[in-house]
Amino acid sequence: MISIYKEDTDNLFAELSLKEANMANADLFKAELIVLFDKYHKNVILNIGKVEYIDSSFLGALVSALKYGISVKNDIILVSLQKDIADLFALIRLDKVFKIYGSFDDVPNH
Amino acid sequence: MPINTPRKILLVDDNPLFLKLMEQAFKKYHFKCHIVSSAEEAISFLKTNSPPDIILSDYEMLEMNGIDFRKYLMNEPELKDIPFVFLTYLPDKDLMIKGLDLRAIDFLLKDTPVNVIVSKINNILFTIEKQRELSEIEIKKAAASLNFKSIPVETPHIKGFDIDFWHHAYKDIPGGDFIDFIRVNDRYSFIVLGDVMGKKWMAWFFTFGFLSYIRSALRFAAFDEEYSTATILKKVNNIICYDSVLKDILLSLSLILIDSDTNKITYSGAGDLPLLHYKARAHRIIQVASSGLLLGLFEQGNYTQQEISLKKGDRLFFFTDGMIDFVNETGKKSDYQNFADTLQSSLAIENTFTKMKKNLFSKSLNKQVDDQTIISIYKS
Repeated sequence: MISIYKEDTDNLFAELSLKEANMANADLFKAELIVLFDKYHKNVILNIGKVEYIDSSFLGALVSALKYGISVKNDIILVSLQKDIADLFALIRLDKVFKIYGSFDDVPNH
Repeated sequence: MPINTPRKILLVDDNPLFLKLMEQAFKKYHFKCHIVSSAEEAISFLKTNSPPDIILSDYEMLEMNGIDFRKYLMNEPELKDIPFVFLTYLPDKDLMIKGLDLRAIDFLLKDTPVNVIVSKINNILFTIEKQRELSEIEIKKAAASLNFKSIPVETPHIKGFDIDFWHHAYKDIPGGDFIDFIRVNDRYSFIVLGDVMGKKWMAWFFTFGFLSYIRSALRFAAFDEEYSTATILKKVNNIICYDSVLKDILLSLSLILIDSDTNKITYSGAGDLPLLHYKARAHRIIQVASSGLLLGLFEQGNYTQQEISLKKGDRLFFFTDGMIDFVNETGKKSDYQNFADTLQSSLAIENTFTKMKKNLFSKSLNKQVDDQTIISIYKS
């Protein structure tokens, strides 16, 4: 469900292909992110622009993957959030937890 | 399955005419159909959408045939348990054995009358749902024997305030929402609303651990006469961050302390949705946001507290994310503002929680996608 778009020295630019990010795909999503950290040892800059709905199970998987990323000195950066998703992140303060940008091009130094 | 939820079927066949025929037949029986003309398209659909209730797939297709499609799904942990039925023109015994070895539920011949195919699929889904219900009954019995309740049976009596709540578990299976009312003495009472991230039983089991920590922290706070909700949250967060079992589980929490002597309400939140304060005199609802992060996320969770002053007739609502999530014809949505607006409109007409439960919350159940819990504090 995560496809790599390009990479540079420190970062993987990837895209999540889900429209509905929910409990059914949360575990697999987290597993894929952890594989990316273990294989590439880079930050993951993830475009989640296709996601229209995200449930708490999937948010849990995303945050849990971030904790893993931080433990191996990497990060997850999110880009292209739809308005509903960006609003939800702000409501529950996840915008203070993740670095969030409008697009890949807006991410500083990349 | 809620009454109004249509069953979802994925139809896979490279014959467009047959696909159209099947789609029309299933739609007539209120199925939600998605049709694709190849196994590759089906895989792409399954990777980007919520899983269907059943897959009905042709065997003979160009590129990837039905058996290879089934083999692929069997290697995908998230997809292998979706009920799978083969459709074929070939009454071939070897093929059937191969398919059944891959845990396909059935083989249907394509020259079977369409209404018979629909009936068979209906029967298969009915049997699966019955089996699931029986398993859930067994788990519910086991859970009941533990005598652990994550939602109280009664509302507390707190001087100067009317407390009420409404809770509905998603698909009637206990989930990650929990409520606790802790009366410390005549003066102080705590109200706790938590939501373990996740759904159904998996989330419910973790409520044990979290509630134990929270109850202990509140009791210790009461013994020490430490009535700072922010300090309590900091302590709970520290404990959770050190618990290796709970380290990958996250929790949102709203913690309220009511002081009946001064009528003060103190609030701290952790990754919870902003509370809604209905100001009766102005007939409007305002957000009360906290700064704290989800419990268990980082050791520094930025927990602060604030005082909320309720005037006579005011209401304070705090609720879990299931209250703002809903499903409509375009899919699932989260809409906090819509919920706030609906609540404000409802309050303009009727300011009793009993009526809100009946006329507002219960009526949203056919759109429910998660556990729904809301607590109301009314200044009487």
